[in-house]
Amino acid sequence: MTIKPPGTASEAASAARRRPRRSIPAGRKLRRAGWLMVAPALAHTILWIAIPVLATLVLSFTDYQVFRAPRWVALENYVELWNDDVFRKATWNTIVYTFFTVPVSMAVAVVIAVLLNQKLRGRTIYRAAFFLPQVTATVAIAMVWLWMYNPQYGLLNGLLSMVGVPRQIWLGDPSLALWSVIAVGIWQGIGMKMLIYLAALQNIDQNLYEAASIDGASKVQQFFSITLPMLKPATFFVFVISIIGAFQVFDQIYVLTDGGPANATTMMTYEVYRSAFQNFRMGMACAQSVVLFAFLIVLTVINRRLTGGDEK
Amino acid sequence: MTATTTSASHGAGQPAERRPRVNARRVLLTVLLAFGAFTMIIPFLWMILTSVKSPAELIEFPPSFWPKEWVWSNYTEALDAAPFATYFRNSLVIATGHTLITVFFGAMAGYALARIPFRGRELIFLGFIAMLMIPTYTKIVPQFLLVKFMPLFGGNDILGQGGSGWLNTWWALLIPGGLSPFAIFLFRQFYLSLPRELEEAARLDGLGEFRIWGQVYTPLVKPAIATVALLTFQDSWNNFLWPLLVTTRDDLRVIQVGLAVFQQEGTTQWAYLMAGTTLATIPMVVLFLVAQRYFIQGFATAGIK
Repeated sequence: MTIKPPGTASEAASAARRRPRRSIPAGRKLRRAGWLMVAPALAHTILWIAIPVLATLVLSFTDYQVFRAPRWVALENYVELWNDDVFRKATWNTIVYTFFTVPVSMAVAVVIAVLLNQKLRGRTIYRAAFFLPQVTATVAIAMVWLWMYNPQYGLLNGLLSMVGVPRQIWLGDPSLALWSVIAVGIWQGIGMKMLIYLAALQNIDQNLYEAASIDGASKVQQFFSITLPMLKPATFFVFVISIIGAFQVFDQIYVLTDGGPANATTMMTYEVYRSAFQNFRMGMACAQSVVLFAFLIVLTVINRRLTGGDEK
Repeated sequence: MTATTTSASHGAGQPAERRPRVNARRVLLTVLLAFGAFTMIIPFLWMILTSVKSPAELIEFPPSFWPKEWVWSNYTEALDAAPFATYFRNSLVIATGHTLITVFFGAMAGYALARIPFRGRELIFLGFIAMLMIPTYTKIVPQFLLVKFMPLFGGNDILGQGGSGWLNTWWALLIPGGLSPFAIFLFRQFYLSLPRELEEAARLDGLGEFRIWGQVYTPLVKPAIATVALLTFQDSWNNFLWPLLVTTRDDLRVIQVGLAVFQQEGTTQWAYLMAGTTLATIPMVVLFLVAQRYFIQGFATAGIK
């Protein structure tokens, strides 16, 4: 109360000093232009994102089969999910998939980024090669892997046969299928992480390395005591978007395994898809996607706690 | 990592030793990176090599790496086996449409959020940021329902009942995915980095805000436009789930869905499928190789700010 009036007064005074006559009408015109320019994007985002998110939450408490009006069932969907073995399996698979694809591809990406962050012949070619899987469609890529994993004629079994290893049914063997899917996830995920790390590396002050060299620190010591700590904000960012990406793995499951064999590779997203678009249980699908979202929020918060101490 | 470890273990060298050590390290580094890069592109090579192999060669085991004869007619036959040309055209129309919509409206909103002070601006910006975090699967079901119950379309009445709404229409393919908060966010960051003096001068000259946006600032953010355009195009070209959900008609199918349908229908003809996959992949690969700089800038900006 006592602070506010002087503030506004001085603002007004400075405004008056700058443009005494035009300031008020120009300001109004300006505000209106600002609103006009934001309006289409705002309307689009409200209609296609904000409302759907709220609707997902609300519908998750209903039994809704599209052709009948939604019926309020409170927590029934969630109770059913809790006891649903398939959804449990899907949740576990999603966690395993994320737990292996994200850290492995992050580790590979950091190493490659460090190696590429120096004067080197063919640097752009290497960078392009590592990034290529990221720009191409997951469906198309999964199609190629499906062919490479083909048990009868596939490239991988061909390579194995050269060293005398028997054929593997990569995608049809319940104990192997998830790992085959994870391998594709790692392969595809390296590129973008590498790129973000490369950009972050270029912002590290080179004097730090010079000082460390003078103090006699080896390259490995420098990597752990300078590079990694300085990459913390980038790591937080990469981790968050990678987790969000990995939890939403869908396209390659659709192409490679259809969730099988015996639900060995089904994922939370795949169950959302099945509930909504094969069984037409929209309420259940919404409940499943709320659970998915809750996982993502919790993981992001935990990560923020772990790495976010000096992150602003 | 291996490279640095090795060099470090040889380390603490006298100046005289320095050159050979550096060279050995260089060689090791190059070998390592070349091997890694080759591993990354093997699937792409395999795709192209498969697409030109003869049926007899495809069922050899172990498979030959290099085709004995290059059967380019696989491509024309693939185009006969499935309407890949139509799929390709559809993907092109949709990706171009999304790119135009996103660049125009995204740049406009980004400009207002960056440069025009108006009440509620911070709140709206925070709102866009929040929407940026929403995963696809937390909005996909209601988005589908919105499309299905779109009033007065596809035989629907004013309450959205009775017909199929936007399902199986270009609207469903073009509008919902037309604008992403990510594009708005990127544009805002780019406009924010420009100097203030320009707008003040332009406003004193009596230029309207739309002209300041279009004629003064936007020409200065051309690289940003290229970046957002490329990322949008890529996202749209590669999108699978949404077109899968909202279209069932063959003439509206995009290439990614077309591939999946072709693979699922009956016996898989691998050479044709790989020819189709090559068609689905090539535009993005070419675009990326031509405009690498902008892709990288886009991801770097997203990563740092």
